[in-house]
Amino acid sequence: MRDVRGDVVRRQLKADHGVTVANVRSICGYLISGETSSDAIAERVDDLFADPIIEIGAANTAMLTTNTFHESPDTVITVGFKPGVTDNPGKAATDGFLTLFPSDGEAKIATYITYVFYGLPVDCDATWLAGTLHNNLIERALVADRTACGSQAWPELMFPTPPEQKFIEPQSVNLECDDATLEEISTSGLLALNLNEMHAIQAHYRNEEVRQHRTAMGIPPNAPTDVELECLAQTWSEHCKHKIFASRIHHVDHETGEDTVVDSLFKTHIMKPTHDMQKDVDWLLSVFHDNSGVIAWDDKWSVCMKAETHNSPSALDPYGGAMTGIVGVNRDILGTGLGARPIANTDVFCFGPPNWEGQLPDNLFHPSRVLRGVHAGVRVGGNESGIPTVNGAIVFDDRYIGKPLVYCGTVGIMPRHLPDGRPSHVKTPVAGDIVYMVGGRVGYDGIHGATFSSLELTEESPSSAVQIGDPITQKKMLDMVLEARDAGLITCITDNGAGGLSSSIGEMAEYTNGCEIDLAKVPLKQAGLSPWEILVSESQERMTIAVKPEDQAAFERLADLHEVEATAVATFTSTGMFHVRYDEATVAYLPIEFLHEGVPQLQLESEWRPPELPPFVPPAEANHSELLESMLQRPNIASKETWVRQYDHEVIAQTAIKPFVGVHRDGPGDAGVIAPIHGDPHGLVISCGIAPRYSDIDAGAMAAASIDEAVRNAVCVGLDVDKMAGLDNFCWPDPIESVKTPDGRFKLAQLVRANRELERVCRAYRLPCVSGKDSMKNDYGTGPEKISIPPTLLFSLFGDHPDVRKSATSDFKFPGDKIYLVGESKQELGASELAFMMTEDGRATGVGGHVPLLPNPEQNLSTYRALSQSIRAGLVRTAHDCSEGGLAVALAEMCIGGRMGALVDIDGTGTGDVWGRLWGESLGRIVVAVPPEHERAFLSAMTGHPTTVLGTVTATTDLVINDGDDALVKADVEAMASVWKGTLDLTGGVI
Amino acid sequence: MTPRVAVLFGFGINCDHETKAVFELVGATADRLHVNLLISGDERLEDYDILAVPGGFSFGDHLGSGRLLGNRMRFAMREALRNFVDAGKPIIGICNGFQVLVKTGLLPGPEAGTSPDFLQRGSLTLNDSGRYEDRWVTLEFDPESPCIWTKGMTRMECPVRHGEGKYVMPTAEDLDRLNANNQLTVRYVDPSTPLGSGMTDEALPYPISPNGSMRNIAGICDASGLVFGLMPHPEAIYARWLHPMHTRHDSDDSSGALDGWEGEGLQLFRNAVEYVKQRS
Repeated sequence: MRDVRGDVVRRQLKADHGVTVANVRSICGYLISGETSSDAIAERVDDLFADPIIEIGAANTAMLTTNTFHESPDTVITVGFKPGVTDNPGKAATDGFLTLFPSDGEAKIATYITYVFYGLPVDCDATWLAGTLHNNLIERALVADRTACGSQAWPELMFPTPPEQKFIEPQSVNLECDDATLEEISTSGLLALNLNEMHAIQAHYRNEEVRQHRTAMGIPPNAPTDVELECLAQTWSEHCKHKIFASRIHHVDHETGEDTVVDSLFKTHIMKPTHDMQKDVDWLLSVFHDNSGVIAWDDKWSVCMKAETHNSPSALDPYGGAMTGIVGVNRDILGTGLGARPIANTDVFCFGPPNWEGQLPDNLFHPSRVLRGVHAGVRVGGNESGIPTVNGAIVFDDRYIGKPLVYCGTVGIMPRHLPDGRPSHVKTPVAGDIVYMVGGRVGYDGIHGATFSSLELTEESPSSAVQIGDPITQKKMLDMVLEARDAGLITCITDNGAGGLSSSIGEMAEYTNGCEIDLAKVPLKQAGLSPWEILVSESQERMTIAVKPEDQAAFERLADLHEVEATAVATFTSTGMFHVRYDEATVAYLPIEFLHEGVPQLQLESEWRPPELPPFVPPAEANHSELLESMLQRPNIASKETWVRQYDHEVIAQTAIKPFVGVHRDGPGDAGVIAPIHGDPHGLVISCGIAPRYSDIDAGAMAAASIDEAVRNAVCVGLDVDKMAGLDNFCWPDPIESVKTPDGRFKLAQLVRANRELERVCRAYRLPCVSGKDSMKNDYGTGPEKISIPPTLLFSLFGDHPDVRKSATSDFKFPGDKIYLVGESKQELGASELAFMMTEDGRATGVGGHVPLLPNPEQNLSTYRALSQSIRAGLVRTAHDCSEGGLAVALAEMCIGGRMGALVDIDGTGTGDVWGRLWGESLGRIVVAVPPEHERAFLSAMTGHPTTVLGTVTATTDLVINDGDDALVKADVEAMASVWKGTLDLTGGVI
Repeated sequence: MTPRVAVLFGFGINCDHETKAVFELVGATADRLHVNLLISGDERLEDYDILAVPGGFSFGDHLGSGRLLGNRMRFAMREALRNFVDAGKPIIGICNGFQVLVKTGLLPGPEAGTSPDFLQRGSLTLNDSGRYEDRWVTLEFDPESPCIWTKGMTRMECPVRHGEGKYVMPTAEDLDRLNANNQLTVRYVDPSTPLGSGMTDEALPYPISPNGSMRNIAGICDASGLVFGLMPHPEAIYARWLHPMHTRHDSDDSSGALDGWEGEGLQLFRNAVEYVKQRS
């Protein structure tokens, strides 16, 4: 039998490092701690630990000494988890062990894996090799090098016992000190509170009325407890309170002379436009205030969507960070209204180039390793949760080496009304309801995630901020929660994410104006956690759910059936207080209003001067066929198929437009389309847009381009543009001016411009933003070593598709179909993929110039409406968004999808020169193909909209592009497919 | 009568909703039943006519796909499962469900005419590629197979979505024995071969065979033809709008289910429902 686990390691060593190994074998190891005798276990090895057909098992023996391994290996490496790190196989093994040995209730199993190397190159260092196989933040590795192997000194891991946690009684923290000490308290405690905020807390405890109440409660009157200070730090963190988006900004524009004040970017440019649009439509059910935005989809169902980022955790542990990202946003959906069912995921990543050969700063992983880890994390998280990944993107830029961006989105569905008649998008808690913590337990992992992500990444970043998700525990919880919802048992529900119980119960307590929590009741992964740690730990797979007292028994029965832990830990009150006890002792007593409204508004300075970049000037002469071949190999353009194919994109049997289309299912899908109600072709479109490099010229243009791209992608499959909603996810470098960030004013001005464009374009497109998130500290290091990401907006869109049977895909379908360009090409090559490529390879000297703009979005919307109606009328079955790499790349991708040729003339497609028309990335453009019999009707439908004939789909193997009499491109379709698919295929094949 | 289908769920099974839906589209009533309801006796397997073990990631595939759920069923539902099979009631396992049935020993099961003995005879292991993949494959069905689920089915396209779908048995004789009884019901085939002549024992290259299965096996049945399991997902093509190429063809025939948009996979579920109806 083949050892596939070993083969994978062998192939990746070859693909990533050029190291050729003759053979790699693997051993799965289980360390059992329990009462059962080893003889008893030995008899059942084949019942649990080894598959009798394909594996060999043994107990109490190092496998390497058995005759399975007759030849002496060159190196042996054993990798296991560090104590306290989530070990999912170990948890599953423990469950399976209890099926066989039900009396050994306290048994625990930890897993490890041993890799056995044969034919290893002599110069391959065993320690280096171990480094490629584990992340020492969460795993430990033991190595037997050649010498050790020669003397059969095999590595032996001991059972990982977590270090004892010392329970510390709540302390009070004296804030009657000077400013420097206040700042020191914040910094050393990883609280991420600024001096103003520390002053606001200080002032609270000087309030005489507050002191009297506290005295009455038997809690230190003049100073916060550590529980209170931690709770405030979590609740007031940038991560939870979005202080930069809520700040008061003095904005100066040196280009226009404008000098103005913006009072909250969020309220001004995001919330207000949506609330204005809410007056015009009846389908915006719930915006901004819940865990995701909800729209009515039809009479029976509503849909919701949320996207999150998990950048800092993914930088430290790409696998665990990304997995907790995707399963975390799933919980946002489950925590929307009275509970929605997650039905589709989206994953968008920004990484450094996978082929990076330059220097790497300390403690940063190589981009290819980040890509592998992040990809594996969302793959496992999404696939094991049974949620299809229907849409996404991967973007590459050098600066994402400093901080990868990991955006995870989820779409949910819920009945408009529950069986008991309550609208399911409205939470209905009342004082007296019992609050349960449901799902996983609380552990030392996940302490300080929210405040940590509000700080820049340094070498000292804590490992406790890293967690590994447990999708099966979460899946069991999800099954249980949805049954509880339908049984009418839930009055309020929210996710335990950033800030843990302090945030989840704290936020829900706003509904009833108070709560009383007993931390001693919270089930722990390990004994000894101190009260503040229990309150703020972000341990995964937990929901906070409120239940009426009379429904407690039914709720707990359901939890038992699903083998889900559910523990009553709090009660809602109307006292106005966030009251936390540990047993009888009060450990925190904070007014709800102070907790949620007490954070002082930031006052920030913003200053815009357009960046001066050398313009992109293309050479006088060029071979456009060769350029096309090179462009198709650019990581930003190349096919992501080998990665995306590892996501389940069609579980639930609803995905009508998949990530891959065409005859060989390898053409790019523009947007995902799902028909979630079985038997009904009513659909939902899910798309995204992202264009971070345009920020190099203007972050406002970047924002406009992202939104337009998301809409365009959705139009390509037949979206109803009159019912679409968006999500804005901003990832920015720190925009607050400071010693660490001397260019903070500029970065804030970029944010102001992006928000203004967001408002302008969304209003024009009648596209309400219903939910969003921001991540504002995406920098690495300080001083000249500092790396800041390009300001990046991911715009996600979900919208209605009345009938998925009337969709279009990007692949060319029938020879003779007429090709049209909808929209116009302008001379917009600034920050284009072509400009970056030619500047990197020395053929040009800059990427500046005219960035694509969106001067007349109202006209675009009208054109999009006409085109999507033509698609839904069945006139157009082929449509593809024209973006990175311009028209040339769009046409190439359409040929690849259909494995057919095309004859195209770009004369008359716009105002640009040949470079602009062939490679420019002007917005608002879509390439379509129309069967001859529908051409007249199509043109009639597009009257008044820019629509230019490009050419014809041909029964040939070549893409031919001319500009009038000038031949520009002649490219073989299979050859294009080969280079386009090859670049990012880092799998090492199947041999 | 309306056949009743028990669709298992819990512990990471995740295709339960669509599996329930496809049975209902062909005239059955289907209940999603948590495994623990059957183990506790709150629900009785004998009250159902068909058992479906859907796809998913029960227990995260840890310790081998299907093994831990298979163990729970093997030890806690042994009698109920044996009686169900002895009563001649159809069982299907799809993807993770197939893995579960193989690890419980219900597939391929003992010789004809014998009750289930819960001995594991084959296995489903890691794809040769080492990767979980979602990709569409072409399947061909053995027309001589005793399998009641696949009667009249010839060739079908549908997705595989697995990391551990390589079917193996210890010896060639084991496979020969199944083959002699036409229990190698469905195999991966090269779509360019003429219809009906795609099945071969020669290993087909990746990705035509997505996992390196012995003899390109995609699914097998037990000796009676009532218990059937396969790695690919027939329920994922219950409607033609789920086919990757559906945008090329409008339906010109509105007969059949779903206004002419019935997908090729639905027949498999209809076969079992009709079988139960005819037997009663």
